[in-house]
Amino acid sequence: MSDDGRHSPRARDGRAPDVFRPGGWVSMKEYSDHEAVDFVIVGTGAGGATLACKLAEYGFSVVALDAGPYFRPLEDFASDESEQTKLYWTDDRIVDGDNPLQLGSNNSGKAVGGSTVHFAMVSLRFRPEWFKARTKLGYGADWPIDWREMWAYYTEVEQALKISGPVNYPWGPPRPRYPYRAHPLNAAARALARGCEALGIGWTETPLATLSAPRGLAHPCVYRGFCVTGCSTNAKQSALVTWIPRALSAGAEIRDLAMVGRIETDANGLAVGVHYHRQDKWRFQRARNVVVAGYAIETPRLLLNSATDKFPSGLANSSGLVGKNLMAQANQAVWGEMDEEVRSYKGPPSLAITEHWNYEDDGKDFFGGYAYMSQGPLPQLWANTQATAHGLWGARLVQEMKRYNHVVGLKIVGEMLPQENNRVTLADERDQYGLRIPRVTYSWCDNDRRLIDHSIAFMSRALSAIHAKNIWVQEDDTCHLNGTARMGDRPDSSVVNADCRSWDIPNLWICDGSVFPTVGGANPSLTIQAIACRTADRIRALSRLGEVNLN
Amino acid sequence: MLAASVLADSAVEHYRGSFKNKAMLTPLIVAGLTLAMSLHGTADRRPMAHQARDASYLSAAVTGLLGTGFHIYNVTKKVGGLSWQNVFYGAPLGAPMAILLSGLLGFCSERVRANGGRRRHRVFNLPAGETVATVTALGLLGTSGEAGLLHFRGAFHNPLMALPVTLPPIGAGLLAGAVVNGGARPRGLARWWMRLLVGMGFAGVGFHAYGVSRNMGGWRNWSQNILNGPPLPAPPSFAGLALAGLAALELMREARNA
Repeated sequence: MSDDGRHSPRARDGRAPDVFRPGGWVSMKEYSDHEAVDFVIVGTGAGGATLACKLAEYGFSVVALDAGPYFRPLEDFASDESEQTKLYWTDDRIVDGDNPLQLGSNNSGKAVGGSTVHFAMVSLRFRPEWFKARTKLGYGADWPIDWREMWAYYTEVEQALKISGPVNYPWGPPRPRYPYRAHPLNAAARALARGCEALGIGWTETPLATLSAPRGLAHPCVYRGFCVTGCSTNAKQSALVTWIPRALSAGAEIRDLAMVGRIETDANGLAVGVHYHRQDKWRFQRARNVVVAGYAIETPRLLLNSATDKFPSGLANSSGLVGKNLMAQANQAVWGEMDEEVRSYKGPPSLAITEHWNYEDDGKDFFGGYAYMSQGPLPQLWANTQATAHGLWGARLVQEMKRYNHVVGLKIVGEMLPQENNRVTLADERDQYGLRIPRVTYSWCDNDRRLIDHSIAFMSRALSAIHAKNIWVQEDDTCHLNGTARMGDRPDSSVVNADCRSWDIPNLWICDGSVFPTVGGANPSLTIQAIACRTADRIRALSRLGEVNLN
Repeated sequence: MLAASVLADSAVEHYRGSFKNKAMLTPLIVAGLTLAMSLHGTADRRPMAHQARDASYLSAAVTGLLGTGFHIYNVTKKVGGLSWQNVFYGAPLGAPMAILLSGLLGFCSERVRANGGRRRHRVFNLPAGETVATVTALGLLGTSGEAGLLHFRGAFHNPLMALPVTLPPIGAGLLAGAVVNGGARPRGLARWWMRLLVGMGFAGVGFHAYGVSRNMGGWRNWSQNILNGPPLPAPPSFAGLALAGLAALELMREARNA
């Protein structure tokens, strides 16, 4: 069979793929559509999979739906960049604004496990002050959660994913030791380190969600380097190989190739289930609670597409903020060439990091922060980058590609500020399911530009300091998407409360990166999972008080 | 035994490092020589020291010291200097000491042999049993330290990885106790503990073989995973040291009964 799960669902008939054994299966509990489950969860990425696992382990009945396939990494993932674009969400979308986003690769995923199946595994904690960015740092918005509470949930997620990190982390308040040790640095990471030492700032091994020692049936990382196109060894601790197997053994049902098109609400204004498309027809799953975990574009799209007469501007949208305050993260890079071979594509792409400019506020002419990491672009991506961002073609492009083994690069994950004009709305065009597609509008503000300029100047100095040659700047790139359903303390200025529960519909929850009021200069996956763990604990606590709809 | 372990381990590890520096061949030659000499010594029934054996044992000791220097240089020249990253993944700082130990123990055995049938063996004018016991105890501590470092790198993901960092130091303590007591008290426990360590050293190969199987491709991918996984030849160095410990206890017993 050549079917790799993209054409017909694999999780059915009481079993789901065993991602650890070629051709293997694990048993799966199944619910019928008309049986109301405690929670139906839309999306199985960092937010949805984590919450599905935790809620199932707490004894709730859970069905989690994902629009994407249920891949078997050991069998379905090739060492081929083109083939692996199957992991991306490439459905039709419209992008506009002054700085239209490039959607469909590093900022989306369409698979059970979501974009964690191809994420770069960088697992950072937020700087504590970011949770009170407005009060303590004077920009953005405050989170309704205290950092100390988050610190405990970060620990839970780091343990659950067996994060490989440095023995001592140089920034921020103390954190427990990472469960696994850091990986050996590749030459690209050592180049970052030498640049940092030359400029007198700190650096460390990047905490990564990929194993440096065996774990159960998962092998330690073999430094194959195809991390961002899908790990074929299961060293990567994606939701697909961590939370999802746990969720299944705790009794959750996962439905792959199940696209949710609308959330149904009743006359009382409560959610009663979701309409979803699977195996060529629309179905309806009844549920006592609905959790939306579709990430920063699909989450607001679903809420807006679920508008009714009672909720004409979409669900959970009395504040008018659904879809607003979309925040990408800046992803600019500086590239150069070393005389010696670097072979930056060996191993995970970002083995070394400096969070200096996340924690140091002196010398900044902007709000927010950024981290920068060593890079290891795969050849096709690199040729694309040279052709587009660097504008090379023909003989010059060929010449440049011959220097591929000598390339060294530094790339930021930079904080962009929340702006209401950066938003997701509905276009009139419809997709293959007949659903209105999202329009994603994005423009940088002056602060975003100042942050980017600062980072480019600094990283250029770092590359010069290690005698890199032919240094050039990749000016326009973005990564992770957050915001669009922010959490807060008040119904008029936020979509959900600290428990990820919508202010308007008490049995509608949102649990993914869209609840972020600010994004910080750190990759968001660890924070999304920590929020999901907290949400599960809060749901359990509230249900014991009789405050969760379970009838 | 120890020399064999060193030979195999340094061969694998330096092969992995592609013998980038020509000096990386040295420990193979020296450990091979030490092994050959000790086999020669075992086959040789004459109760006297042999100059070639002595020379080779002493050169092993010197190689150990120089190798340690090289490995320290390798670690500190990397970016980050003496950091966890470089101690984990740079040249192992403690490893060359094993070749020093094999040389020292070989040298001691030559002295015992040279003493012929006398019951009170002496090395450098020190009682032989006590000397060998002390060298062995220090060797156990050092080897245990190295296992501890590398097992920490592996995050002690398997609880059995704690064995080589707990059992050998206890053995070292028992040997030290025997030295301090001058053999006045029964050394049964120490002797049994040494036998336990011999067993642990051989069992360790089995555990490391299991560790190799847990890497991608398992034993089918042996050519990669033997280099990549836990080192198969490393654990028997505990067995080698423990055998030396047994010999030391025996020498002390003989000396006391003389």
